[in-house]
Amino acid sequence: MIRVMDVHKSYTKDKETIKGVSFEVKKGEIFGLLGPNGAGKTTLMQMIATLMKPTSGMIVIDGLTAEKDLLEIHKRIGFLTNEIKLDPLSTPNRLFDFFAELYDIPKEQLYQRRKESFDRFGIAPFADKRINELSTGMKQKISIAISLIHNPPIIIFDEPTNGLDILTSKQVTDYLLDLKEQGHAIILSTHIFSVAEALCDEIAILVDGKIAAQGSVKELVDQTGAENFEKAFFKIYVDNHVE
Amino acid sequence: MESTRGLKAIIGNFFRKKGQMGAQASSATFLVTVCFVIALACAAASFVIWWFPYHLFSDEVYNVVVVNAPESFVQFNEDTQKYRDMEAREYGDRYNYFANWEHMTHFEYSYDGYGWTEFIYKETDARYDFVTFGEWMRDNDAYLTVVFPADFDEQIKARQEGLTEDKPEVLTYYRTNSLEYSDMKNEFIDEYLEYYQSSIRAEYGITVTSVSDSQIVHDPIPTIDEDDDRFTIGANLNRTFVPILLFIVLLYASMSTGTNVIAGQKERGTFTGILLTPMPRQHIALGYLTGVVLKAIIPAAVIALIASILTFRFNIFCFLAILVYLLVLEIFIASITILISVINDTVVSAQTAFLPVFLILVSVCVTCIQSVSERSDFYLYLPVHGQFYGIGDALNGSVDAAGLAASSILTLTLTAIIMIITVKLLYHERYTVSIDTITEKEIRESRNGGKPSFLTKLNKATDNFSFVITEVFYPLVVLSFYQFVAMIPVVISYMRKAEWSSYIQDLANVGSVKDIINKTFEIIGIFFKDPLYLTLMTVGYIAIILTYIFHAGRVWKIKGFKKKSAAVGYPLSSGKHIAKHYFLGLIIGFAMLSATVGVMYLTGQISFDGFNLNSASIGVFALNLLMWVPQGASEEIMFRGYMITAFSRRYKKAIGVAVSAVLFSAFHSLNKGYTPLASVNLALIAVLFALIYLLTDDIWMTSAIHTAWNLTQGNIYGLQVSGNNAANSVIKTFYYNSSSALITGGDFGPEGGLAVTAVAVVCLVIVALLLVRKKRKAK
Repeated sequence: MIRVMDVHKSYTKDKETIKGVSFEVKKGEIFGLLGPNGAGKTTLMQMIATLMKPTSGMIVIDGLTAEKDLLEIHKRIGFLTNEIKLDPLSTPNRLFDFFAELYDIPKEQLYQRRKESFDRFGIAPFADKRINELSTGMKQKISIAISLIHNPPIIIFDEPTNGLDILTSKQVTDYLLDLKEQGHAIILSTHIFSVAEALCDEIAILVDGKIAAQGSVKELVDQTGAENFEKAFFKIYVDNHVE
Repeated sequence: MESTRGLKAIIGNFFRKKGQMGAQASSATFLVTVCFVIALACAAASFVIWWFPYHLFSDEVYNVVVVNAPESFVQFNEDTQKYRDMEAREYGDRYNYFANWEHMTHFEYSYDGYGWTEFIYKETDARYDFVTFGEWMRDNDAYLTVVFPADFDEQIKARQEGLTEDKPEVLTYYRTNSLEYSDMKNEFIDEYLEYYQSSIRAEYGITVTSVSDSQIVHDPIPTIDEDDDRFTIGANLNRTFVPILLFIVLLYASMSTGTNVIAGQKERGTFTGILLTPMPRQHIALGYLTGVVLKAIIPAAVIALIASILTFRFNIFCFLAILVYLLVLEIFIASITILISVINDTVVSAQTAFLPVFLILVSVCVTCIQSVSERSDFYLYLPVHGQFYGIGDALNGSVDAAGLAASSILTLTLTAIIMIITVKLLYHERYTVSIDTITEKEIRESRNGGKPSFLTKLNKATDNFSFVITEVFYPLVVLSFYQFVAMIPVVISYMRKAEWSSYIQDLANVGSVKDIINKTFEIIGIFFKDPLYLTLMTVGYIAIILTYIFHAGRVWKIKGFKKKSAAVGYPLSSGKHIAKHYFLGLIIGFAMLSATVGVMYLTGQISFDGFNLNSASIGVFALNLLMWVPQGASEEIMFRGYMITAFSRRYKKAIGVAVSAVLFSAFHSLNKGYTPLASVNLALIAVLFALIYLLTDDIWMTSAIHTAWNLTQGNIYGLQVSGNNAANSVIKTFYYNSSSALITGGDFGPEGGLAVTAVAVVCLVIVALLLVRKKRKAK
């Protein structure tokens, strides 16, 4: 579903933020991007979500590229990042209606969709409250609900559990597993090992804009000969990070 | 066919939520707008006060007010009275009268239409007091005021006897609320006054020559465009005030919503979510454009409707034309705001970027205010100009279809280009994704290998430049503002006095900048004797001090009045300390000036001629003394307490002292009698005060010295204070004819002479020594 081929990105001439990254995410698979802050996770995610163009290389989503079929890609992806905020003065209901219009979701489907996701995340009691009156966790859940309003086959989540408590975190991860069962292709970035370990079929460890290692949790642990995943990560990081 | 649901949703969003799109206009824009609207309202009010009562409640009037009527004119009126009475009887109807004109004698013809005219005689010396003339005209149903010089007959005689070549000047003032009055005025001058002229020629037995014996100055109240046959004040307002108001409403409404949409959404982080939807970007841009247009057009349309109804000739066709003009204009303005909004990342930066556009468009409006006859039809076809004129004309009931079409097409073409650029930019990540990890500065420096780039240097240079410019002009702006405000009531009260007219007459004769300065100071000199002005300026100076304290607090981010005050050199902590410094300062100031006067006395430049104060002038004298206190303090806070501190915070202290000295000197350079020596002296005094400030760490003492200096100079010894004439002094001082301006400073007062140089140098040396000693002690 997602193919990233030798993608480079530099904001300035002499500094590359992403230095040649390639991977593939299949249907029904959760792909994890793991790396420290500043490794380039968000940049990479934004490129996959078509918000930025790679300096070189290519990203193909469901056989489409952003140059040619930008809007078609938008119909197929759901993107969540901390940088996308909800209008603080709006309410979940209004936002849902608004984005449903923008995504051109038929009215009959909208009712069903709203009920499902509001029930799942317990948004219903807050549906008419202003966003700025809600808790961080609730905002994040609403963001997730809205980013998936059009039921996209491809889901790109940048740090979906960042700043959430354990209970809310669990709600989110359970939801992602359900989505995977339904056959969505999911790519998520995180720096939380437990999330990566619990969810991801395949993990790429991103260090300084390059994939330092890639494989399932078990493969990575075996590769490095470390006791557990966390230690494996540090080993890979130390081996690859250049001061 | 792509679905337009998203488009509708974006537009709908503009009207759905209260507060979300609310104006976040930057305070500067708001202030500019408010000031502009107030100025316009004042301008409009000056028309309306004249116009409103007549236009609605009164029919045409026929009377004439004659001011300072010479005997010959009164006699002339009496002589013609019977003819005029006859006319009024015989030709009760004016139009009948015109119908019979062929049968009239030349004599009768000359009195065309004056059968209804009554002459109202008034006396005044104020020949230019149009306010009073206006009141007289209103009270006496007159359309015209004719103002003779008080000695008209004598002047005519003198002229006829060949004693003078000057023609006596007869002024006319007339009502301007109807073009009719302008015509009537012209008739009156061409016929009645002309006949009067020939009658005085006959009386004085002079042969009639082609040269008229008196000069008639037409002076309408206010000036009107005589060529415009559609002229009334209402029509004029329709062509000027209403379009400007509409422009401002559109600009302001577009700015507050337009800059908020994309830039505001970027700032709040909600824009990316919209970009990610399968909405084509041109739909997004179009949606925002439509939203802004709809939001801004509503108040403008309401105002246009009210204006069209107020013209009493509401015409649906014209109103529709106005709506089209407004719509096209608003689409254009909205597209600019959207473009600016796309380029900027925050509401404030977008509004700052929009401010020049705002001002340019308003300036264009101002340039559009000209008479119909002078304007070229070409303008009707242009964007902005076309809308401005089109709206004005349509309000007055005429629509130029070609102009409407051409200006609309051109404007919409421009809009299309702007929108294409906008959409292109919306595909560019620089304008859609905020890059948090790398700041602009880092990018620039990384390109340059870590060194500050040219752009950084340039930024720093412009930063310094704007700092210096701001600090340099701040005193000027603040002082001018308060001085101007304080002068308004005084000028109004003076316009009714006889002296005023002679000044106005004199002003007409000035030929050079120097003359103007001298004249201005002469008038200010008169004001200085006026209790109203002294009181207002006292308040004004206090306001300046407070302005500075709050300005410093804001710029330097200081909270609490005491701390703010201390930062600009007025520590409020110890009353005893203040009293000590202030009292000492008063003594020093008095001593310094007395020393100067002493030098002048001993060198034989001046002498004293007893006491000058009497019981009548004691009140003004006291007010004068009172004024010097905040006056000195305000100059000290401007040039010492604030300016030196501001510069020292950024650069070295010496730069602050130098800049303040140069500015202090330059600040007085426009004053009357300014000489190069005066500039040196003022700079020396400024340095002296600066050093005293550094010595005492506050400006209590320099404020007192400043006050005492001016007070002693002007109100004790009766000398000029930096070119200003102080009104009342204790001692009457006079200069010997042999006195040297080099020593006494001439018109500028002692501060322009060597006597002050000597005293200042001595004081400087003393203070410098004290400062050195203080520094040593500190070590």
